[in-house]
Amino acid sequence: MKKTQRSFLNRRVLLACFIAIAAIYLIGIFIWGLAMNPNDYAVHYENKLLSPSASHLFGTDAMGRDMFKRCIKGLSNSLVIGLLAAGFSSVVALILGIASAVFGGWVDRTVKLLVDLCMGLPHLVLLILVSYMLGKGALGVTCAVAFTHWPGLTRIVRQEVLQLKSSQYVQAAYRMGKSPFQVALHHMVPHVLPAYLIGLVLLFPHAIMHEASITFLGFGLSKETPAIGVILSESMNYITTGKWWMAVFPGVMLLLAVILFDGIGETLKKLWNPMSGNE
Amino acid sequence: MKKNWKKNSSTFLAMLLTAGMLSGCGATSSNTNESTNNNQMISEASDAIESGDTADSSDDANESINVYIGGTIFDESMDPIKGFMCYGYPLVNEALLQVNANSEYVGSLASNWSVSDDALTHTYELNKDIHFSDGSDFTAEDVVFTYQQVMDNPGLNENVDLSKLASVTAVNDYTVEFKLSEAYSPFVDTTAMLQIVPSDAYSSETFDTTPIGTGAYKVVQYDANQQIILQINENYHGAQPDIEQVNIISMDQDTAYSNAVSGQMDVVMVSSTYINENIDGMSLEKLETMDVRNISLPTLKPQTMKDSAGTEYQVGNEVTSDIAVRKALAIGIDRQTIINNAFNGEGVPSVNFTDNLVWANTENYEDNKVDEANALLEEAGWVDTDNDGIREKDGVKCAFSIIAPGSDEDRYKLATALAENAKALGIEITVRNESWDVAEAEENTTPIVWGWGQFSPTVIYSLYHSDMFLEAQYANVSGFTNKQVDQAIEKAISASSIEDANNAWKEAQKMGEQEYPYLFLVNIEHSYFVKDGLNISVDTQIPHPHGHGSPIICNLKDWTLNE
Repeated sequence: MKKTQRSFLNRRVLLACFIAIAAIYLIGIFIWGLAMNPNDYAVHYENKLLSPSASHLFGTDAMGRDMFKRCIKGLSNSLVIGLLAAGFSSVVALILGIASAVFGGWVDRTVKLLVDLCMGLPHLVLLILVSYMLGKGALGVTCAVAFTHWPGLTRIVRQEVLQLKSSQYVQAAYRMGKSPFQVALHHMVPHVLPAYLIGLVLLFPHAIMHEASITFLGFGLSKETPAIGVILSESMNYITTGKWWMAVFPGVMLLLAVILFDGIGETLKKLWNPMSGNE
Repeated sequence: MKKNWKKNSSTFLAMLLTAGMLSGCGATSSNTNESTNNNQMISEASDAIESGDTADSSDDANESINVYIGGTIFDESMDPIKGFMCYGYPLVNEALLQVNANSEYVGSLASNWSVSDDALTHTYELNKDIHFSDGSDFTAEDVVFTYQQVMDNPGLNENVDLSKLASVTAVNDYTVEFKLSEAYSPFVDTTAMLQIVPSDAYSSETFDTTPIGTGAYKVVQYDANQQIILQINENYHGAQPDIEQVNIISMDQDTAYSNAVSGQMDVVMVSSTYINENIDGMSLEKLETMDVRNISLPTLKPQTMKDSAGTEYQVGNEVTSDIAVRKALAIGIDRQTIINNAFNGEGVPSVNFTDNLVWANTENYEDNKVDEANALLEEAGWVDTDNDGIREKDGVKCAFSIIAPGSDEDRYKLATALAENAKALGIEITVRNESWDVAEAEENTTPIVWGWGQFSPTVIYSLYHSDMFLEAQYANVSGFTNKQVDQAIEKAISASSIEDANNAWKEAQKMGEQEYPYLFLVNIEHSYFVKDGLNISVDTQIPHPHGHGSPIICNLKDWTLNE
């Protein structure tokens, strides 16, 4: 009996369950936030600074805004920015990584230089710089996160493609007179796709965390936008007077979203990697 | 499987740590460090006083207090030549005149002063037997030296404007004569703002941190961005103060609050966020100010205009350019509710500059007249035709945005509370928190929350005179133009007596206010937690000028401890 149960709940099933739950949680927040009526997190002065209760799960802030609804909306905003930024970053990484490996020569050197340039600066400083130059706000943060998260993935893609380059079927394709572009599109992209998708999922938690960080520091989303960074930086004024709920719940929500994304990425990595499947 | 779980959990742990590091500790860890430093500093400061004698801290002979009055005092030089403490009250240095609790000018280093009939010559008689803290005598020479320094280096001091001063001469050791190039009645404000330095001992470098003055206290230790320790000036000409040592400590507001809770502070400035809290052994003092918050409402239709140098500016606002909207807001909103909502009730409703200023218009009007305001808007054509709660006129929504500039949480709260209140009038206000750079760029088109509070009536010139539009930052951003107001202001400036000047200033405000270029909301109050047993002499506190923090020490010499 025990044996059958174990074989039924094998790792693959467990992981699939985990991914499903995580995905439902994240997509749920995403859609709920997008569809939310702004009145749900609007100012209600009669409810100032209430501690958590059944009607206000996460309590309220100094303007009487419901912290639970504000958190959901904020997290949803973060997810939108994360999605845009990670999407953009990964496309840049895919193009630059493959171009760098396939063309070699000065293209490769330029891409490597760009990667080094981007990685040579402290991440947060570069984020703040880009966001500030673009006038902060949603545009500033999205661009800042998008422009700074491609180098890591570019390196991975480039490495994968470099290995492929010397493989026989790629060599054969060249001999048959295919252009480098055709080779890249038909033989390289399908092969690097798994690694690329995992990299993309793992970019999300970074993007979300960095959005929250620069917003917290005052270089990101503006005060009037519901965002976890804004909520956390506002709550700093109330911690010394014991309004713990304003910092704890939003912090936990952010952490949970980040951990789940990271968990999904790591799990997918294991599923896709044939070597770790034999463990 | 087991191995995997381990690996998994370590990743989670790493994420947890990173999360903390990225979004939280960037700010909090530095706070913790700072608070440790500050605790250390507070105990060091009290050690310093205790080691002098065998006295304990409750001994009346060697009293020391720790005060937190914000960071401004640490941000700027302590040199009066560079504009230190130029708000009309003395600390280390003193000016010729000072403001009293009724906002009137009284002699400080000068005993009396007179203005010639042509208003071009101001003569000040100085008090005798006054010494600087280094022992040297105070004479007319020091006054001439101080004014000459500022005239020669106008770039150093942005707070004191001596551009109308033609010459300053010492008639004798105790008489100074100021000759003006044109009649300028606000010159008297200048003599209450610019504090006098000794001509022999002045040094531009050392005065940044340890100025020598005639005031009741002198600086004995200056630690940049940490603390300023003041002790009694033995050569002070007035009655000796009661408190021997004052430690002004630099920290964040929440750190200061925590230190107050643990009993280490005697005076702590707090924002309205904290005023409903209780601290054992301390009580909250809400002090009267003349600091007002108003919102500029551009009076022009959107258009492009040029300043005198030919630079083009986008000016005006489609909605606020209608006087009906401006007036409806002024009479229709409920200022007391806004104050209760935004500031937990801290502050007094105000519809113009505060009555505690001698030059302010004291004619006030009632607000919260919603029906009258609604009727006014409807008469002007603003009607809600699509039933969304917001009025329209010719396809334009009765909606505009307000910028709450900088990191001032209170201005954001105030604007938000106003936006909520204006909904009852069918006016939609969107609040934007932007940097001062953005606010400056949009100051002629977008309403902005401003803070004003100074003893000099020149603020009326800045806000209402048509010459100031587009010519100076922050000045007349509403684009207000009225010939009669201009004339009244010019009359005030050229007046030869304070009474005539004040009457003309009042007249200018009265006329200006009829067009509502600024929506006055609140005369804020400055709140401080003060330790029981410390008397900050509320009776001799002047109405606090703009800038929550430093003004509480305006009468430091009158404070008493344990009496």
